Amino acid sequence: MATDSIIKIKNVSFSYPESDKPAIDNISFEVERGSWTSIIGHNGSGKSTIIRLINGLLVPDEKENSLIEVDGIKLNDDTVWDIRDKVGVVFQNPDNQFVGATVADDVAFGLENRGVPHEQMVKTVAEAIKAVGMSEYANSEPANLSGGQKQRVAIAGILAIRPKIIVLDEATSMLDPEGRDKILKIVRQMKDEYNLTVISITHDIDEANMADQVLVMNDGKLITEGSTKTVFSQVELLKKLGLDVPFFEQIKAKLLNDSMKIPASVDSEKELINFLCQLNSKM
Amino acid sequence: MSKILIGRYVAGDSIIYRMDPRGKLLATILFILFVFLANNPVSYVIVTIFSFVAVAATKLKPKIFWDGVKPLIWLILFTSFLQLFFTVGGTVYWQWTIFALSSYGITNAVFIFIRFTVIIFISTVMTVTTKPLEIADAIEWLLKPLKIVRVPVDKIALVMSIALRFVPTLFDETLKIMNAQRSRGADFNNGGLITRAKAITPLLVPLFINSLETAIDLSTAMESRGYRGDQGRTKFRVLRWSYLDLINLAYFILLLILLLVFRTH
Repeated sequence: MATDSIIKIKNVSFSYPESDKPAIDNISFEVERGSWTSIIGHNGSGKSTIIRLINGLLVPDEKENSLIEVDGIKLNDDTVWDIRDKVGVVFQNPDNQFVGATVADDVAFGLENRGVPHEQMVKTVAEAIKAVGMSEYANSEPANLSGGQKQRVAIAGILAIRPKIIVLDEATSMLDPEGRDKILKIVRQMKDEYNLTVISITHDIDEANMADQVLVMNDGKLITEGSTKTVFSQVELLKKLGLDVPFFEQIKAKLLNDSMKIPASVDSEKELINFLCQLNSKM
Repeated sequence: MSKILIGRYVAGDSIIYRMDPRGKLLATILFILFVFLANNPVSYVIVTIFSFVAVAATKLKPKIFWDGVKPLIWLILFTSFLQLFFTVGGTVYWQWTIFALSSYGITNAVFIFIRFTVIIFISTVMTVTTKPLEIADAIEWLLKPLKIVRVPVDKIALVMSIALRFVPTLFDETLKIMNAQRSRGADFNNGGLITRAKAITPLLVPLFINSLETAIDLSTAMESRGYRGDQGRTKFRVLRWSYLDLINLAYFILLLILLLVFRTH
């Protein structure tokens, strides 16, 4: 990939001190600026660990040729705060990442940490809350919000600091389908509006299917990577890893099983519907 | 939603609600000190009137204030009772061994009773009209001078606000765990003292573990959002003094002057 990469990871390994097996085993990949990347893999495959390595919450194992680079900055002790300015993470549990006592306080937390003056903070916070559609809840307390609303507040808190990369660390896994769709819609809008790079760690295969690029992890290793089409067409491999495939791929596989001839060029839900309709009209 | 109301904030709208929490906290502390200046019927009448004006200014139902007194009513009655029968002096109306009913005893009992009730009233006015968070802000402001002796006031303030923010969450969590344990046979309400204490274990252990996990998650989230201690932090929530707070403090200074004037030596 010779294009403009915002995240470069080369030969990175990481082991938790109490385990003898590496949680991340010699991983290398790049993320293109402005793209949407999904990381999938079953529980304990090391997906979340990667994120914690990227923003310096965990320190990778000492290795000579390993490298983590975010937006041209190499991660080390001196640059970790600069990198955290560029990477905003929405975590899994909406309750456990809500620092402030009210919505506005929570959104302001990141700005407070960066020493933003009060007047500017008031303006930025109001804008960020509006962007996620939570204006009428600005003074609500977390106990009175739903999980989806809390996650929207978490996104607002990240938007307020204007990062370049937004990471969803299973951010929608505790939400109902409606809440999930809302969050993903907001993230998509934000991505287009501010040219953000999105990394989404997920178990939800339809969410993963929104991406441009998919990384598949298993036992700390990167099994395969590529565009959603190339990755999700490897139905057998994914099944072997215990992962789901998108609904349309499942249907396609079933139809192929029933010895229906579907041309290889059919590789989206729309095309499949078109193909089936055409097939029907010919008969 | 959770029924617990720390500091029992009751939503409402009156001038007291618009006052600065720092002013209210100061006024409450001052009032408690001032009450002890009263030592004769006139000054007690003044104190009572002043506190009732404050109560009326909240425009809240009297029941709320009665709820404030209720849990302490036995302590108040007990203390007044002791004053009533164990004070000697003045005209003695009735006596039996060490018990005596004297004029001093009666006035003292009434004084103690009034003193207790007005202190509870005024502190209820404070807690009922101020959000817990605002109280935390006010405490932080009061503690600020301690920075000179290197007390980490900002960190204490952050700890306070996080603690307050997690009270309803932990309360909900507790109810959930209780229900989960009940659904598999735990009984929290029956048995003797020891049985009940034992029944709490399946509630406390998960609650502790949950809290620790929450703390770890929260600290990860805080760190990834750029928290690195107090250095260079600004504050989003600011308190502003207004003319109402001048009125508030003037009101209590007036009380102080009146009490000093009418105090008997």
